[in-house]
Amino acid sequence: MDPGRTTKEILNETRSQTERTPLYSPAALEKLSNSLDQWLNSVVSDRDREQFHTTPISLVGFDLPRSLLYTPLNIAGTTYEDLGFPGQEPYTRGIHPNMYRGKFLTMRQLCGAGSREQINQRIRSLLGHGASGVNLILDAATIQMYDSDEPEAKGQVGTVGAPIDCSEDMDTIFQNIPIDETSVSIVTHYPQNTAILMPMYLVMAERRNIPWGTLQGSVQNDFVMETVVRSAPQYISPRNAFRIQCDNIEFIRKHVPKWNCVTLNGYNVREFGTSGITEMSVALANAIETITEMQRRGYEPDYTGERIAFFWSVASDFFGEVARLRAVRRLWYRIMRYRFQAKNPRAMWMRCHVQTSGLSLTREEPMNNIVRAAYQALAAILGGAQSLHVDSYDEAYSVPSEEASLLSLRTQQVIQAETAVTDLVDPLGGSFYIESLTNAMEQSILDELDEIEKMGGLILAVEKGWLHRCIHDHIAKEQQMIADGRIKLIGRNYLRSAEAKVPDLWVHENDAEAEAMIGQKLRLRREQRDNQELWRRIDNLRLACRTNDNVMAFCVEAVRAGATKGEIRRAFSEAFGTWTPPRWL
Amino acid sequence: MRHIKVLLAQFPLETHSRGIITVAGMLRDSGMEVVLLGNATPQQIVETAVQEDADVIGISTYVGGELTLSTDLLNEATKKGIRDRTLFLLGGVFPPRSAVELQKMGFRGTFPPSSTKEEIVACIEEGMKAWT
Repeated sequence: MDPGRTTKEILNETRSQTERTPLYSPAALEKLSNSLDQWLNSVVSDRDREQFHTTPISLVGFDLPRSLLYTPLNIAGTTYEDLGFPGQEPYTRGIHPNMYRGKFLTMRQLCGAGSREQINQRIRSLLGHGASGVNLILDAATIQMYDSDEPEAKGQVGTVGAPIDCSEDMDTIFQNIPIDETSVSIVTHYPQNTAILMPMYLVMAERRNIPWGTLQGSVQNDFVMETVVRSAPQYISPRNAFRIQCDNIEFIRKHVPKWNCVTLNGYNVREFGTSGITEMSVALANAIETITEMQRRGYEPDYTGERIAFFWSVASDFFGEVARLRAVRRLWYRIMRYRFQAKNPRAMWMRCHVQTSGLSLTREEPMNNIVRAAYQALAAILGGAQSLHVDSYDEAYSVPSEEASLLSLRTQQVIQAETAVTDLVDPLGGSFYIESLTNAMEQSILDELDEIEKMGGLILAVEKGWLHRCIHDHIAKEQQMIADGRIKLIGRNYLRSAEAKVPDLWVHENDAEAEAMIGQKLRLRREQRDNQELWRRIDNLRLACRTNDNVMAFCVEAVRAGATKGEIRRAFSEAFGTWTPPRWL
Repeated sequence: MRHIKVLLAQFPLETHSRGIITVAGMLRDSGMEVVLLGNATPQQIVETAVQEDADVIGISTYVGGELTLSTDLLNEATKKGIRDRTLFLLGGVFPPRSAVELQKMGFRGTFPPSSTKEEIVACIEEGMKAWT
């Protein structure tokens, strides 16, 4: 790797060096150009000719103009080397030779609301209906790493996800679920929380005599989530959060080899308020800094890259989303191959989980959301995603009901079993439009990545408030476009029904009694453990934070002694000190 | 129209901020003074409202518990003597039933995600007019 050059500079150089065979002869292109001009001037109306290029406007969209028609002229510079065959470099058409014929994507619906027993029941019900993976979402207290009985947690336990205080709580949630055969994603969001919840999961597996080497799944572990997307009473600095991110990667990579130790979360960055371009440039910048830091620690990019995964939002600009997934797949390959000289194909595969866009769901006429999510799911599949969660129609009211959750799973299964779109690989590949859009997306993502790298990298950009400003400005701009109707949302600001009915939906409500019981159980556990031993281990963790030792190893030790999430969070903030994020206003 | 000062806050463990940032922008554009407190307990919110002499307290909530915590907020406001001179608003994702309950408890307005700037501003201006 050359630290003096940006990724864009490196890639531009290699591009000119690689062999490229034009798909169209100059004579054919010239003839086409002439006949296109003729068509434009004799058949196309004045109005259409004047507005030949328009920029579609959609929520969290792209700002990329589209023409009325695409022809080979739009991809005259594209060669088949830019596409390749699926399962081969540059993986534009997919990471596997047979894609969904071999294995359909992992149908992984988010799960987690109510008591731990109810969550266990919902997970088993979805698996029983054909879901192929688990996706555990956490309640506000668990996401923010507060114990269920801390004063800040009041009213927010078990409302929008699973309440997990200590390792034993994992026992109940995963009871009778074959975790050695089922891929489990734990939506940990932050590096700190990954260092807390992953050990709790591992220690639970230990109690069940399941070797860590058999465990498959993923955590998020993304410092951007912790320092930009998160809103919290207290933060540690981006630099420290990034250090924990890399500690987690180092530990998990070594001890839980089949586990995806980092899932760079573009989704929440975009849904918070960025374009689909920024979503990807930020995640790629994080990946580049992560691989570089791991190299500094003595790990080859081939080793680290193999277990890096991505998490994308797929919104409503249908072809834009398909093109974007193809673009980032090619770009990731190029980064790994040319910036990091990777040789291991797995390290060059852009493997991703997709969630349909929650932001695009409306509270008005919620059944319309079923249609939105289905189109978005289809775009994810045509884009070649590895894993998918389809949002439920009732999510502008509540976490999904059991019925809505099953409908989301069925949406995926209908695409799989009834539409025949999964019988071939990359069905849209070769379309003049899709290839042209794929090129444009790749260029835009790379341009923004270049901007971040020229600022000194992502950590610095976050510290300086660049991403905070991007998000703030995007939200303001988008809000204006919703208000003036340029962004159209059916039933909300466009074709709104005269009589707005409040639909009769099941909603999940907070249960104060259940919250009190969870608190009681936690207090009992604190009394029953060997507290002297526990605090000795927490002291060791604090010490590890201040030295270069891997913090996750010490978290595992603390969790084995019964540590709770709040206790570990406090150890982190005491050791690292707190950080004041840039202001939003 | 007199100068209006709005304190915007989230309950302690709220993780979503798009709503509060959006509304802060809307209210500023409408000429109001906005203090964006971020995550805070009901006690901290009321304390800040007293210090800042805010006319309006706006809460943004997405992760549930809005009834429990809003009850605490109103009780705290009563304790500190600002309940009768403060307008309470709440926005975000919450069940329709909560909206009814909150209005019964004394919230002037509740705003689900589709609410417009005009609706929120009108609610505040009418509430202020009702006092003066």
